[in-house]
Amino acid sequence: MPVLVEDEKDVVHNSKSSPRKNRLKSHSRGFSRWAGYLFIAPAIIYLAIFLLVPFARGIQLSFTDSVLVNPSGGSFVGIENYANLVTSARFWNSLGATLTYTATTVFFSMFVGTTTAILVNRKFRGRTIVRAILTFPYAMPSVAVTLVFIWIYNQSGGILNRTTGALGLGEVGWLTDPSFGMFSVVATTVWKVFPFVMLVMLAALQSVPEELFEAARVDGADSLSTFRSIVLPHLMPTIRVVALLMTIWSIRRFEIIFLLTGGGPVEKTNTLVINIYQRAFSEQQLGAAAAIAVLGLILSLAVTVVFFLAERRENVKEGTS
Amino acid sequence: MKTRRVAVRALTFTSLSITLVFAAFPVYWMINTMLATDSELYQSGQSFWAHLERFGTIPFLLNDVPIFKWLTNSSIIAFGSTFLSLLLALLGAYALSRFRFHGKGLAGFLLFSTQMLPEAFLVVPLFALFGSLGLLNGLLGLVIANTTFTMPVALFIMKSAIDKIPYEIEESARIDGCPRYGQLSMIVLPLILPSVAAAAVISFFDGWNEFLFANTFISDSEIWPASVGLASFIGQYSTPLGSVMTAAFLFTLPAVIFFLIVQRQIVSGLTAGAVKG
Repeated sequence: MPVLVEDEKDVVHNSKSSPRKNRLKSHSRGFSRWAGYLFIAPAIIYLAIFLLVPFARGIQLSFTDSVLVNPSGGSFVGIENYANLVTSARFWNSLGATLTYTATTVFFSMFVGTTTAILVNRKFRGRTIVRAILTFPYAMPSVAVTLVFIWIYNQSGGILNRTTGALGLGEVGWLTDPSFGMFSVVATTVWKVFPFVMLVMLAALQSVPEELFEAARVDGADSLSTFRSIVLPHLMPTIRVVALLMTIWSIRRFEIIFLLTGGGPVEKTNTLVINIYQRAFSEQQLGAAAAIAVLGLILSLAVTVVFFLAERRENVKEGTS
Repeated sequence: MKTRRVAVRALTFTSLSITLVFAAFPVYWMINTMLATDSELYQSGQSFWAHLERFGTIPFLLNDVPIFKWLTNSSIIAFGSTFLSLLLALLGAYALSRFRFHGKGLAGFLLFSTQMLPEAFLVVPLFALFGSLGLLNGLLGLVIANTTFTMPVALFIMKSAIDKIPYEIEESARIDGCPRYGQLSMIVLPLILPSVAAAAVISFFDGWNEFLFANTFISDSEIWPASVGLASFIGQYSTPLGSVMTAAFLFTLPAVIFFLIVQRQIVSGLTAGAVKG
């Protein structure tokens, strides 16, 4: 068994070192630098105009008391917006909602997505149609998803309350009761995004070399130990990347929360992104909204940095062992 | 050993069935609601089995909703931002994969940073910028705003595909006097078509789903995309639920069909690569 793992590592090492070799080769072939700039220029100029300029403007706005009707009319107020934020309970509640939403969404969509990928990776009749049905939620537009779920969650005629009522569990205001709001939003999100995890995991599972399975079978390994010692190590890099993507996307997610609860009930699902929108467009305080956005950005940056540090440590560990 | 295998199979079957019901039920319920009668929905309660015989009533349901106009707007946004994203991304991916230049790392970081940046952050300053450029209340502004977020994704997908192509093919073309853009369009592009398709699907989906920018930039309901149009029915009870669900169904259908068709191409592209490699 350990021999197999060594072999697999060699494959990984080879594939890692080959791009580096290619790069060195292409360098020695004397590529002209200017051609590179010419090809990258359209994309970079585009982002400079429509990303960097508004980004800088957003940071500048966060230090002003600008209002929606006159975005350029605000005056400089220093760090006042930030000072107000860190002392307001509403901001900390919003941060807490973001963390709760992100943690539960990422955990459950990773769990459901990965186990489903393992289940549909087996050969069985009707596998194609099963996979197609399972990817359906991911293809469905968020707005259509929320319309259907609002009707399912509906307090009086919704199928969920009719079912729980018939089972004697009583009826619940799924989107209006403070103890259920977050649950309903997370459940809807997991429904929508788990197929993405499944598809990526499925691709990763199919890249596990068949020889490894055969060798394990020859060695008499049962399915559980095959999974633990062959499949799981092979999936780990993919799991890490998908978890990072899911985390960043959860911090950014807008439509589902905005349309299901609008941040309610009693601000239970008021994530940072919803908070930004409310501040800017309902309360018309552009400066305060921009300040929340900057802090939210720092949060997702922190997540990414932690991820890359952990990844590097992992690589170092693998390299020395 | 044998009982254990049976147990594993039973467990697999049960958990797969639960996931299938979980995934399929809301979709089924959308169709069921679309076909239910008004008296069922508002009084007696919706029956669990869909009235499939009522499919013929769908054209009448749509009289209440200008869904086709909204779907046209959605497709303009989706096709527009896909085209723009792929064009910019192909050139950029080629540059990042095949050239060395100063600031390459910085360019990569700039592109990657779009993935961390919440769209909600850019909404406010973009609102101000588009106002002064005259891009508010028009579809072009939405194409531009969406491309900002989809182009980098397309670029990274294509870059990793170009990385896998051996440079020798382009080199022999270069020796034969083929210019750089010819190498890109006649050698590289045909080889990475599956990845271009994957990038196109992702861009198209983003454009088709676009909501946040449209919801804030567009005030005229004539140029709403279907997402904003449909969202306007939330909390509004004058339009019958059956009509709203029918419109939602029509909005979902092209996305799902498109996804299922192209997904097969992507999968076959991946497996073809695996066989060769």
